[in-house]
Amino acid sequence: MSIDSSVENPNLIQRLTRDYSLLVLALVAVFIAVFIIGAATAPNFLTILNIKTILRDAAIVGIMAIGLTFVTLSGNFFLLSMKETAALSIIAFATSMSAGYGFEISFLFTMIIAMIAGAIQGLLIGLGGNPIVVTLGAAGLFFGIGSWWSDNLVVSFRRPHGAEWLGSGSFLGLPNITIAFIIIAVLAEFVLRRTSFGRQVYLVGANRATGRATGHENLPMAIKVCIIASVCSAFVAIAFSAQVSSAHVNYFSSSFGSSGDMTIMVIATVMVGGNSIMGGYGSSLRSSLGAVFISTCDNMMVLHGYNSGPRVLAVGLMIVFSIMVFALVQRGSRSVE
Amino acid sequence: MYKKAKTWISNNPDLSFAILLSICVYAYFAFTNDLFATHRTGYAIMERFAVLGLVGLALTLCIIAGEIDLSIGSNAALSAVITVRFTDSLGAPTALIIALVIATMIGAIQGYFIAYLRVRAIVLTVGTLMLLRGVSLFAAEEKTVMLTDFRVPDFISTKMLWYFSPASLLVVSMFIIVGLFMSYTRYGREIYAIGGARKEAIAAGISLKRPMIIVFAISGLCAGLGGAIIGLRSGTAQALGLQYVLLAGTVAAFIGGVSIMGGKGGVIGAAIGTLSVNFLNTGLVFNVTPAFMVQLYLGILLIIVIMFQTGSRVFDENQRRKQILADADNLARQLSKRRKFLKAPP
Repeated sequence: MSIDSSVENPNLIQRLTRDYSLLVLALVAVFIAVFIIGAATAPNFLTILNIKTILRDAAIVGIMAIGLTFVTLSGNFFLLSMKETAALSIIAFATSMSAGYGFEISFLFTMIIAMIAGAIQGLLIGLGGNPIVVTLGAAGLFFGIGSWWSDNLVVSFRRPHGAEWLGSGSFLGLPNITIAFIIIAVLAEFVLRRTSFGRQVYLVGANRATGRATGHENLPMAIKVCIIASVCSAFVAIAFSAQVSSAHVNYFSSSFGSSGDMTIMVIATVMVGGNSIMGGYGSSLRSSLGAVFISTCDNMMVLHGYNSGPRVLAVGLMIVFSIMVFALVQRGSRSVE
Repeated sequence: MYKKAKTWISNNPDLSFAILLSICVYAYFAFTNDLFATHRTGYAIMERFAVLGLVGLALTLCIIAGEIDLSIGSNAALSAVITVRFTDSLGAPTALIIALVIATMIGAIQGYFIAYLRVRAIVLTVGTLMLLRGVSLFAAEEKTVMLTDFRVPDFISTKMLWYFSPASLLVVSMFIIVGLFMSYTRYGREIYAIGGARKEAIAAGISLKRPMIIVFAISGLCAGLGGAIIGLRSGTAQALGLQYVLLAGTVAAFIGGVSIMGGKGGVIGAAIGTLSVNFLNTGLVFNVTPAFMVQLYLGILLIIVIMFQTGSRVFDENQRRKQILADADNLARQLSKRRKFLKAPP
């Protein structure tokens, strides 16, 4: 009886703790407020050049994040080997380019290597290996192969090469990598929403048992999504290599970019975008927006003159915040493993 | 004697595999390199054991509880930065205690939130991994912090009893205490229970919070101690360092016989697993192998161990399914026989 009365007449705190949407709205409002204040006070924030820079930074992390979104949506958590797959791919691409093969052949060669890398991980995950542990091992393996292949040296190729249009070209005033990011984002959204493969990704992620009962096992799904993630990683690696005309396995390690580790940045993007890390809920659009959001915040903090410490801290806080909101909102709405 | 050994091996297949592997690795390097089987190398291995052993122990405990702590490297780096930074002004013991308390508190808070929010640890710890990197960048002011007084590094790597130093003796005693805690106290058994059979454990009245907080607090303490030892020994600490310990620690834990499903493995396994990894590491360094190759070998080793575990689990499941089918078949046959017998005219 006491339960009934508390349902009928909840006081404010009870209502708040039961219905978290208010909390979410409040925190989103805080974010928007911080954003507007930052935009108004940061020098040179609202210039065309700066917005281009933001989109460019977002593209590099964002393309990888879109690839990882497929893995996350299919309920296989995340891959800890994104950065290492990119490192292996960048070495493959630069070695092939410096050996004198053209852009097309190098591109295909790199993609095939990335696909093999993805397929191996997907196979092990699909057979029942824990995604985290498998990709942790695979990360060590790929990084080792990349270093061994390049002798831990910088591989460079000469400037007039066939990949320049991808690295430093631009179209309609936007850098080509940003255009590629937009195209990939639209394509991924289309695949996830409108094709049967996309719906299967959601099904397997939302409910493994139902997926199995309807004939969608995790094994082929894991292989497919891991290949997609690896190919996205390889694409970023190729674009990066095309821009700087060289490659080294450490390009994507902790010194890369501003905020810590590339793999963790990609995972952060997927989480901050608002995808459920347990699978089945989210979209690639969210990841793209997450990438733009993180890179905007990062850019703003750089313009305000913050060092890397506060910036890494900010991204960390965003991840933890996203996890907590998700856990609180979803509590009780689905069975916890 | 022989029979006893045989039953022990059949009772502890994972542990005997780990022992066999470590002996094989040791023997291989001892035969290929003259310098390997000396007590100087033994001392070097024990010095490595002091750090990697702690990480391996922390990850073993987490995996026993059915979770993985990804933030272990960040926690260790934070602790190293704090210890090195405050040693000059406050003295080493105070700095060490501050760092250890902070690391343990971080672990306990993580454990509390994992149990309270009911999220998987990998989800939360990937966030705290980034968060703690930011905190340690703050604490180090984005520089490499350094000691000015090198008496402390000299003290903690003094050679004692041929093989040991104060640091490794501390770690060995830590292993013994945690081992006793895990096997002989109720709290330790609860950790095994929530790892091996979480739903059953909760149904039996074990709260998820207490074992989760304990396990992550111990994990934080181990990570913090490991980071502090590495920082004090080298006299320097970097906020973005110590990323590699996660892979090495995971390999050590899995060689030591933990299962990703939780509830299996133990402290002795963690020690032996770490020793195998250390033999491999040190031996490769002795044979002038570049550092990235070590990572390659560790990656391959981890994938092989995972393949074996997954394979054996799938095999077991198939066997069990077959067994159930066969049992059902048998039962049906017996029933039909009996029915015939009953229906048969007298």
